[in-house]
Amino acid sequence: MTIWQRLTRFTARSNPNPLPPDQVLAQHQDDSYSGDIHATVSFFQHLFGVNGDWVIRHIRVFGRYEAVLLYFSNLVNRALVSESLMQALLRPPEHVGTGKLAKPDLRRVLMEETVYYGEVYSDNRLMRLAEALFRGDTVLLVDGLPEGIVISTRDVEHRSITQPMTEQSIRGARDGFVELLATNIALLRYRLQTPNLRVKLQTLGQLTKTKVAVCYIEGVTNPALLQEVEDRLAAINIDGIIDAGTIEQFIEDNHWSPFPQVQNSERPDKCMAQLLEGRVVILTDGTPFALIVPAVFSQFYQTMDDYAERPLMGSLIRLVRIVALIFSLVFPALYVSVISFNPELIPTMFAVAVAGGRAGVPFPAVIEVLIMEVSMEVLREATLRLPQQVGGALSIVGVLVIGQAAVAAGFASPITVVVVALTTIGSFATPAYNAAIALRILRFLLTILAGIWGLYGVMLGLILISHHMLSLRSFGVPYLSPLVPGDWEGIKDTFMRAPLWWMPKRPRQLKPVNPERLGRETMNVFLQQPSHTLDPVRPRKLE
Amino acid sequence: MVARRFQTVTVMEASAVLISTLIGVGVLALPRFAAEAGNTGGPLVTLLGLVIALVGLALVTMVGMRFPRESIVQYGERVIGRWPARVGTALLILYFAALTSLTAREFGMVVVTSVLERTPVAITTIVMLVMAAVSSRSNMSTFAYAHLFYLPFILIPGFGIVLLAMKNATWLNVQPWLGNNPHPMSMATGALTIAALCQGSFVMTFVVPAMREPRRALRSSVWAMVVASALYLLTVLTTIAVFGAEATKLLLWPTLELAKTTMLPGQVLERLDALFLIVWVTAVFTSLYSTYALTARALQELSGLRDHKLLCVFLLPYVFVIAMLPRDILQMYRAIEWLGRIGLVLTVGYPLLLLIVAVCRKQRGELDAEA
Repeated sequence: MTIWQRLTRFTARSNPNPLPPDQVLAQHQDDSYSGDIHATVSFFQHLFGVNGDWVIRHIRVFGRYEAVLLYFSNLVNRALVSESLMQALLRPPEHVGTGKLAKPDLRRVLMEETVYYGEVYSDNRLMRLAEALFRGDTVLLVDGLPEGIVISTRDVEHRSITQPMTEQSIRGARDGFVELLATNIALLRYRLQTPNLRVKLQTLGQLTKTKVAVCYIEGVTNPALLQEVEDRLAAINIDGIIDAGTIEQFIEDNHWSPFPQVQNSERPDKCMAQLLEGRVVILTDGTPFALIVPAVFSQFYQTMDDYAERPLMGSLIRLVRIVALIFSLVFPALYVSVISFNPELIPTMFAVAVAGGRAGVPFPAVIEVLIMEVSMEVLREATLRLPQQVGGALSIVGVLVIGQAAVAAGFASPITVVVVALTTIGSFATPAYNAAIALRILRFLLTILAGIWGLYGVMLGLILISHHMLSLRSFGVPYLSPLVPGDWEGIKDTFMRAPLWWMPKRPRQLKPVNPERLGRETMNVFLQQPSHTLDPVRPRKLE
Repeated sequence: MVARRFQTVTVMEASAVLISTLIGVGVLALPRFAAEAGNTGGPLVTLLGLVIALVGLALVTMVGMRFPRESIVQYGERVIGRWPARVGTALLILYFAALTSLTAREFGMVVVTSVLERTPVAITTIVMLVMAAVSSRSNMSTFAYAHLFYLPFILIPGFGIVLLAMKNATWLNVQPWLGNNPHPMSMATGALTIAALCQGSFVMTFVVPAMREPRRALRSSVWAMVVASALYLLTVLTTIAVFGAEATKLLLWPTLELAKTTMLPGQVLERLDALFLIVWVTAVFTSLYSTYALTARALQELSGLRDHKLLCVFLLPYVFVIAMLPRDILQMYRAIEWLGRIGLVLTVGYPLLLLIVAVCRKQRGELDAEA
């Protein structure tokens, strides 16, 4: 061999730009496994051989047929593969005997009598086999048998079910979704044991191949809504679905609105309730958050507790939350405009006290409030991101700086600290984090407007915000429904939480196929006089 | 046309549109107009004006119901011919652009005079106009939702102030009912001025085609007129009863003064006038929103453009320039009164003409002609 030949061979081998495996597979899309295991194994070895967890295990099925098991060792349950699968394959079943089996018989014996795993199927397209490998399945190739046998052996480490971190409830279920899609579907199915619960799986993401489950209840959810959800999902062509948030950002209606138009939840019981109302729940593999569409504004301040408690308690708690929500939006703006523009509105004694507190503060009220608000936001964000070990120290420092020291230094007036604190607490009372953030951002806008034009500016800001909310739609559902457009059935569940027997219909804005959720007679039974079974004077006797 | 795709407006929403359009900045000066025209007979003048306004609104609604899926721009061309109708539409557009700008200017003056004393009037005016322009970009269903949503924020403070003020009323002040030395000519002029305050209701011509059931449009018109009239009448009655007719004539915005004299029970807020004025921003905004959207939509249909969104922006400088034309508050009010009465010829006369011609030519529109 001349030097020249060596050099050319070297350059030929180290092709600077080899195609990535998925494109090679795409080239061989229509190729099928011919039954020649050596060619196929070397094809796969060429593609996946670089990986450290790639396993090719040569075996002899029933001691007679040359075969090979392919899998990725970290994706499969290794104990199961080596014990149950390998043992079963090596020893022939008793009735097979010692004679040679015909090819179709061999396949039948293997799939139906030998392998005892839940899911087994055969496929002969190389591309499908490769996809199965990356899902965590084991592929069995037998020499001469022109089909690969795929055995689902996937076993990925996962976290156990814990209490949802972002949505606490006093009274209600304690389990939350986890990252694994299968577990999440199980949590839903366990709560909705009806054949009408449909779970449609599809794969999104060119590289991540993320499984996405669209869940709905047949006979309740409007088919047009379901179609729209599927269409919007199908339109997503992206390299990877990192989180349910990725999907949310693609399927929402208005991308520039501060308000969330898709609800997310960690709670299976919440998802169940929303499914029962006729919404669609989207579960994404790898995220503990389910997406719920369509979403209206009132959903973001409702909690599961409202429904678990009795109606009076539920309504009162919800009212408190609405007050907190409004507080977190307008309180600093109102303070600034009353102090700087219309001090005549508040009683004189109080106005004097406020002026006294502000005597040493060098800034106008709006600057003072903005500085305090910004530092409060910084403190909030820092507490969120910090490792838990130092969190306590930070909050003490923060409280001292923002509370006591700022006032003592003549940097802010005591009443400003009160206002800022009330606002922040108010925004924490909103159960949905993303809706609370929206209102917190808008609070700054309102405060600045208040600094420029006083109450007039606040009013203009509020009109702009409400007009924006009125023009928002989530999958065609007006964002402020059922308040506007008015729907009496729905209003029973916005400001108050009406007794369950008083809300016999599903929310009308979702246009459910079957609007009734309460049996006809239930209401009559509940409105009857209760029978005094254990009356002290005249107890009811059993007949 | 956008309105055709959203045939979702209910009777209640249509009423809400009309009520919140009718109640606007005009209410602030209304008792003065009434007292100037008929002194103690102010309520009577108001009633007369409201009857005229009701007739006008009924005409607009009836001609709209005759062509339930078209706006006045479209059926006008069918009824009286292409070019005469275009002239009519162009006049309407000019008139409503002027009405919008004067409303914005008037409220800008109110704000500058009573709360933001150091702000130039141009700023308060253009802010309101920008709000109306931005909002007018939305579609017809949002338009109806917005009016329905804001309705309580208009009616509650409106009726609240009047009812709270009633305890200061001296009912002798509004007697004799017919007015001291009633002067028929000035009463008629006053009635026309007050009727002119209700011209925003012309927006009904764009609401009818977007309604779910256009045949119930007249019902919503009448209901709206009843509610708005109640507020108008009570305001005039209470203001004159509290201040007396002669004092009312001297007040620039008597309703605002009425708010000044009232106090909320409970001693939480010391004075109500600033708060009332701020809440009234909503009422003014809804009226502006209606007339601005009306102008933009009429212009869109006249020009044959598919979308009205850009027009909303392009209209803004013109409307602002018109708003800045009056030199001072006196000239502005003279312009409002004069323009209002001229406008009545247009907003009552044009639909009346269309209705008569349509009846004579036996023309009417199909409910689902182009669905």
